[in-house]
Amino acid sequence: MSTDETRLAVRIAKIAKSYGPTVALDSVSIDLRPGEVHALLGENGAGKSTLVKILSGVVKPDSGSMSILGSPYRPHGIVDARTQGVATAFQELSLLPNLSIAENLMLPKMPRGMLGLASHRTAMASAGRILMDYGLAHFDPDTPVGVLSLSDRQRLEIVRAFTHAAKLLILDEPTAALADVEWLFELVRRQKSLQTAILYISHRLGEVRTLCSRATILRNGRSIGTVELSGASDANIFEMMVGRSAREIINTPPSAGGVAPVALGVKGLSGGILNDVSFNVRQGEIVGIAALEGQGQRDLFRTLIGLTKTNGGTVEIDGVRAQIASPGAALRFGNGLAYLPEDRKSEGILAGLTTASNMVLPIISRVARGGIVWPAGERRAAHETAAVVDLQQRYLHFKIDELSGGNQQKALLARVIMTGARTLLLFDPTRGVDVGTKQSIYEAIRKFAADGGSVLFYSSELPELVHLAHRCIVLYGGRIFAEYQGDAIDEQTIVGALIGHARGAKTEVAA
Amino acid sequence: MSAVTANPARRRSPFWRAVISDTGIVALIYVLLYALYAFWQPDALSLYTFTDLVNNSTPLALAAAGETLVVISRGFDLSVAGVVSLTNVLMAVYPLDGPGGALASLLMCCAIGAFVGMINGILVARLGLQTIAATLGTMIICQGLALVILDAPGGMVADFVTYTLTDTLFGVVPIAGLFLVAAVVLWLAFRRTNTGIGLYAIGADEQSARFSGVAVSGVRITAFVGAGILYGVAGFMLSAQTATGNPTAGTPFLMLTFAAVALGGTPLGGGRGSLVGSILGAGTLMLLQKVLFSGGVSSFYTGIFQGVVLVLAIVFGNTVARLLKKDEAR
Amino acid sequence: MNAHKDMAMPFEASSDRRGRQKLDRETVNTLVVFGLSIVLIVCSRFISPALGSWSQVLTVLILASFLIILSFGQGLVILIGGLDLSIPALITLGGVLTTTWIGTGDAGVWYMLPAILVVCAMVGAVSGIGIVWLKVPPFIMTMATSIVVASVALGYTSGTPRGGSPSSLLWLMKSWFLGVPVVIYFTLAFILFGWLLQNFTALGRRLRALGTNRNAALIAGVGVNRLELVPYAISAACAGFVGMMLVGYSNGATLRMGDSYMLPSIAAVVIGGSSILGGSGTFIGTVGGAILLTTLGTVISAIGLSEGWRTIIEGAIIVGALLVLRGEFLTHVGNRMLTRGK
Repeated sequence: MSTDETRLAVRIAKIAKSYGPTVALDSVSIDLRPGEVHALLGENGAGKSTLVKILSGVVKPDSGSMSILGSPYRPHGIVDARTQGVATAFQELSLLPNLSIAENLMLPKMPRGMLGLASHRTAMASAGRILMDYGLAHFDPDTPVGVLSLSDRQRLEIVRAFTHAAKLLILDEPTAALADVEWLFELVRRQKSLQTAILYISHRLGEVRTLCSRATILRNGRSIGTVELSGASDANIFEMMVGRSAREIINTPPSAGGVAPVALGVKGLSGGILNDVSFNVRQGEIVGIAALEGQGQRDLFRTLIGLTKTNGGTVEIDGVRAQIASPGAALRFGNGLAYLPEDRKSEGILAGLTTASNMVLPIISRVARGGIVWPAGERRAAHETAAVVDLQQRYLHFKIDELSGGNQQKALLARVIMTGARTLLLFDPTRGVDVGTKQSIYEAIRKFAADGGSVLFYSSELPELVHLAHRCIVLYGGRIFAEYQGDAIDEQTIVGALIGHARGAKTEVAA
Repeated sequence: MSAVTANPARRRSPFWRAVISDTGIVALIYVLLYALYAFWQPDALSLYTFTDLVNNSTPLALAAAGETLVVISRGFDLSVAGVVSLTNVLMAVYPLDGPGGALASLLMCCAIGAFVGMINGILVARLGLQTIAATLGTMIICQGLALVILDAPGGMVADFVTYTLTDTLFGVVPIAGLFLVAAVVLWLAFRRTNTGIGLYAIGADEQSARFSGVAVSGVRITAFVGAGILYGVAGFMLSAQTATGNPTAGTPFLMLTFAAVALGGTPLGGGRGSLVGSILGAGTLMLLQKVLFSGGVSSFYTGIFQGVVLVLAIVFGNTVARLLKKDEAR
Repeated sequence: MNAHKDMAMPFEASSDRRGRQKLDRETVNTLVVFGLSIVLIVCSRFISPALGSWSQVLTVLILASFLIILSFGQGLVILIGGLDLSIPALITLGGVLTTTWIGTGDAGVWYMLPAILVVCAMVGAVSGIGIVWLKVPPFIMTMATSIVVASVALGYTSGTPRGGSPSSLLWLMKSWFLGVPVVIYFTLAFILFGWLLQNFTALGRRLRALGTNRNAALIAGVGVNRLELVPYAISAACAGFVGMMLVGYSNGATLRMGDSYMLPSIAAVVIGGSSILGGSGTFIGTVGGAILLTTLGTVISAIGLSEGWRTIIEGAIIVGALLVLRGEFLTHVGNRMLTRGK
């Protein structure tokens, strides 16, 4: 507790927010000092994005209070927050692709010229000044934002936040797509010297340690505590984030037999930013894909399942050349290829339908009796696989959107297992779920592989790759950068490979 | 690094971009079509024919211009049919003669359009209804009102309105055309206001626009009100054309406005396009009808023509939008 | 409180919860709509003694049968997030083809009627193709189909449809069995069929998945493109069939015979509790909506309101229903009635 409140730049006290029955934030308190870069850490779903929205003025909290330099801060909109000196670089980027860089920087109010109309020339000039000031002088302010690469758009989003943030700057995963991290670090240091408080949200602990002095950890919508980063080990922080010790989830993976027949053979595959990728997944094998955001992992999975057009290369399933046009075709091809999508909300669950209906959808015609699908029949069909993923039977007749994220994820995993496909493509199968659910999901995946199925999965969490994969492929810039087998898979090695440094592992390509 | 930083976009030359842009293509089509028309019908180049064409096209052009506002904001406005019918019926049942009467009638039409647009805007922006659903409702109610006021075609529009608005100024400039010019001028100014830029912003991505500080519901309501006013003026001009009232006068507009908008290069997905394109699109549709039916095809088949042109216009619009997008994104 | 003790503490702030015995919105809505119909029938006696009698109720049900069948098709289209504006034109097409291809008598009726339905379904499928592959918004595509079909019907009949009703259709629409018109038995069977199809078959389930989230349905292996044609084809066939029924009912076809069904078909579905965004709704609710609307229409006629007022009321009902059904308004009311206090 600070003795002198006015010395605090920002004080966030006991903020809470619920959406209907869903509690997004329970009680969050954070104090930021002027000129401090303060990290906000927490797993997906811990409440970080809701807090960001509340601070930015997009969402109003149900209770709690906020103050800036001692005076109450109750923004009623994003513009109001800006005028009070609070601005945010959003993770999902809030730029308009059809407007120019200058217009995006000036929104919502353009500089006026003749007749009170927006003046193109003044806008260009002031946008040019801003870009110059933040080291982006090579941007032409007249360019439509849609033309920019993702990395450049992220830079623009960051610059826009900087221009409005006099007192509090919120950077939400600012380096997710950033090619040049040093550029940002330099800006942050400069802003720091202007006594702006900066709330820095990132899942990259190394980055956080470089920039921040203190960190607040969120879990289940509560602020668990604030730590001095110099005095906290990674393990301490991790424990605070997940609520138990990290070691608990460590399991040694069984070693795979290297002679089993190839279930999924990929040769020279290109599509989207994916470029000439070749690898095999054998029966009974779990292959992990490691990659930073946007390195082609999405295109790899979507190409295999027929959602993105292939630009070349071949895919063989059980030795038979396959031309997959849609996920439905993938399911029906040979022994089948089933896909667990990345975003459970927009691509996974069918809200409003029961959990059982969600699970049996791909095999619905098999469940029908005399052309009629009885709800009880659906539950009977879903029953067995629900047990495999450790999903309680009573959830089967709930609507799936009434379940927690973890249980939804279990149901979706059960869905791909139930299809009977012998090869599973799992995209970040444990995103935003709790430790217990993770364990159940790992068990189910291991069991599937032990029964002779093959699994290709991508994960954004390194420990998961280390503990689950028999073989790990690192994608970088749309190509396979490195491949590790068995004991060679360890976090340090992969971290190096992820950012394109084959440190310690001189491109050790296993067969 | 090369993975995330895309190659500098290969952009086409300014000339080619202008041609392929929102209005370039439709303007080109219009000119070619007119040349074709002139080839078949030598009197097409006469002032009389041109005035006639402008007069015929103006109501649809104004209605399409209004629709464009809503489409750019990513929405559909079906109330156009209702507002045109309602204003047309009012003009025929309560004719006000003389310049003062014409002005009063025009203001009344604008006010009705603005009111309906306001209701649409509130239903959509404040009460969260889908644009199609909300405007379908207001369209039906307006059509009902039109039927209550005049239950069968009839009535007389004031002579002053009928004669003056279909006439020419100084013998050369079609007066109806002046309304279009006014609409274009206002549009060009509106485009350069904060609301105008916000209109494109919410059409591209409502969430991002909100996060960028755009007052989303205010902009949306403005779009609907502006559209409503233009429908009102369209109804006014239609009454000047037909000189009589018809409670279902607006029904054909429903389909033709969307065809004109799509033909004018405004993609129905929002965030792009121009009112000028839609006006040219409307002109093209009317011209096409004239070219095809100058030969005396049975009017039974105008419907087939309209349906096919509607679909083709949208497919065409989609294709142009795709081309433009390809040009912009990498 | 039934705290789920056996449940592992969920990681996400949202926990698994299911308000105790939550009545879902669809059920509440269906009950409300049927309840309103009954109240309206009973109250209509105060307006005119002729209303509310048994024979009057039967008349309402016969008139409602047209709307019930139409709104089944419209309901499927709305279920997948579309809108079918071609219903009037297809009613006319079904009617005109029946009177011109079969005409009075019953020659070849057993294959001609199905053939006409197939023609209608194909027209609907064409709309679907435009929507799926040409990416024309549903309401525009069906509007285009509508005007083309209407013109073809106009041209084909030169403005005045000839012929009368096949005797089998006259039998369907005019004869009685055990004191009840045959068509009511038929409609009951249709309701059972439609209800099962929409809510308890693989097809219905896939359609609902498609309407809930096209992307998720695609990823779950549903062949969404071809599936999306189905509701348009079914809706067109239903409209064509109603055209035949109308031929039987009024012993002939006219070019404008379908015009007054367009708005009610949408209104019945919306009042019946289906979301205009797609993905939810039951056919039973829609049936309730159709009966309510038809009853209301009868009362309006009895009062002597003009066509214009009738249209205004229909529009107001659509907007009102949309507003009431927006969010979970009825669910909240329903649950509040079930569980008082916290």
